[in-house]
Amino acid sequence: MVKAVPTSVRIATFLFVVLTLVFVLAPLVVVAGVSVSESQFIAFPPNGFSLRWYSAILTSGAYLGAAWTSLKLAVLVTLCATVIGAGAAITLHRRRLPGTVLLAGLFLSPLILPTIIFAIGLLMLWSATFGPVSFTALWIGHTVVALPYVVRTTLAVLAESDPFLEEAAATMGARRWQRLLYVVLPQCLPGLAAGAFFAFNISFDEAVVALFLRTPDLVTLPIQIYNQLEFSPDPSVAAVSTLMIGVTILLILVIDRLLGIQRFTGA
Amino acid sequence: MSLSTNTGSVGTPLLPPKGVSARVLGGIAEDATLSAPGVFLIILAFILPIGQMLLLSIEGASGGLTTEHFTRFLGDSYYLGIVWRTLRLSLLITVIAAVIGFPLAYVMAHVGPRLRLWLIILVILPLMTSVVVRTFGWMVLLGRGGLIPFTLWKLGLVNRNFTLMQTESAIVIGMVQVLLPFMTLSVLGVVMKIDRRLEEAARTMGASFTATLRTVVLPLAMPGIVAGSLLVFTLSVSSFITPSLLGGVRLPVVAGSIYEAATKTLEWNFAAAQSVILLVGVFLVLLPYLKLTGRRHG
Repeated sequence: MVKAVPTSVRIATFLFVVLTLVFVLAPLVVVAGVSVSESQFIAFPPNGFSLRWYSAILTSGAYLGAAWTSLKLAVLVTLCATVIGAGAAITLHRRRLPGTVLLAGLFLSPLILPTIIFAIGLLMLWSATFGPVSFTALWIGHTVVALPYVVRTTLAVLAESDPFLEEAAATMGARRWQRLLYVVLPQCLPGLAAGAFFAFNISFDEAVVALFLRTPDLVTLPIQIYNQLEFSPDPSVAAVSTLMIGVTILLILVIDRLLGIQRFTGA
Repeated sequence: MSLSTNTGSVGTPLLPPKGVSARVLGGIAEDATLSAPGVFLIILAFILPIGQMLLLSIEGASGGLTTEHFTRFLGDSYYLGIVWRTLRLSLLITVIAAVIGFPLAYVMAHVGPRLRLWLIILVILPLMTSVVVRTFGWMVLLGRGGLIPFTLWKLGLVNRNFTLMQTESAIVIGMVQVLLPFMTLSVLGVVMKIDRRLEEAARTMGASFTATLRTVVLPLAMPGIVAGSLLVFTLSVSSFITPSLLGGVRLPVVAGSIYEAATKTLEWNFAAAQSVILLVGVFLVLLPYLKLTGRRHG
């Protein structure tokens, strides 16, 4: 006779999961709560309800400037990481190139190495070679950080693709570029799309590289928030943060809708 | 997220002994072209910067080679204290993440696919949110008059001015929240592959629920727990934004000390030397991780 799982264990399990979710989500909920506060000061639970901090950030030059920098950066990084990552993933999947294992290690290494070490190296090399850091430095830095995500999501999709399609196309007389464009690339698309959204999210939220490369003229949205947190935050920080959480939730839902988030979490 | 790749060994033999067909060579040329931009980017913008950092770590004031930056760090009890705090907190963070992550992953593996999907989304949401945003949330929760100190005060446990900010507890709480997904997903990947019949067999043979968990599931989930722990530990020792915002200047960690030296006091050689020390430490932990995950994914 199998003894049923004791009710006490069931209740404890339920409580444990709920408490863990509360722990994990509390900071995000609190940020959203603070953002609608009427008061001058950061307080949770919020005093009253108002959207004044949202209108405050929409008229703040510092926030709008940072938002523009972040958006421009994220779009450019997404573009570069997706194009470069597509080529890399296709190559890794085909395994025709000598030293594919080494190549895979190379492409995925930015994922494994702590970002702080890369960030400080980039700052030092850029300063020694080109002088003061610029938007381009940050663009390159974020592309390196985002690249492995595109490579991984695309590889995951290619692993499930039909390997004989390209061969069939070859047999039917399709040229190399035709096979690449009309057979292989369409097979990659779901992975590339997911990778692109990941890349956008990473660049938009990234703070380590951006902090090392920060100059008065090169401030992204996370860095603008960081600057505020170091000095005197008011609820406008919460309003910006809430909008950023909203963007993240949107991106997660889009990735999940398009492809199922489970495929890319290793679970 | 696991760091596995889908590459095994090179599939096509490199150079067949005789008559290398144009088709094979054409394929190699095509793939070389496809991967060239990525290879250039990684070498120029990733390998080279790290090389530059290694170089600066041993560069003396007058240009010669020196180990003075290393001896300065390793010979100063202030910096050794920072190393000790970093290691101690990272270990604590890892253990807590494992203690929460394993049961969470077990539950996630046993619920229906729809609920599991929602749990995954909820668990990775903080991971995908910017580090400054979630740290800000903790600052509100843990600061003076924040929800947690306020509740503790109402319960009569602490006095009115109590704050958790600028304590090591704050660092641990904030770090566990963001690193938990790495642990959970790492364990979930392994637990999902455990044959359910093993658990059923143990239960049929009379083992209690907890005994099954302890003697069947836990040993089989160990590779996931170990891999997750190594990952969480390395991410933890190299974080500085959350520790510096929640812990403040009085509780520096190694990565924070690197940031200070690189951007505030502008001692680049010293910052580089500290980075090398961090890098070596991370590598020592990562090698078994790569071995472990490499074997798991064949």
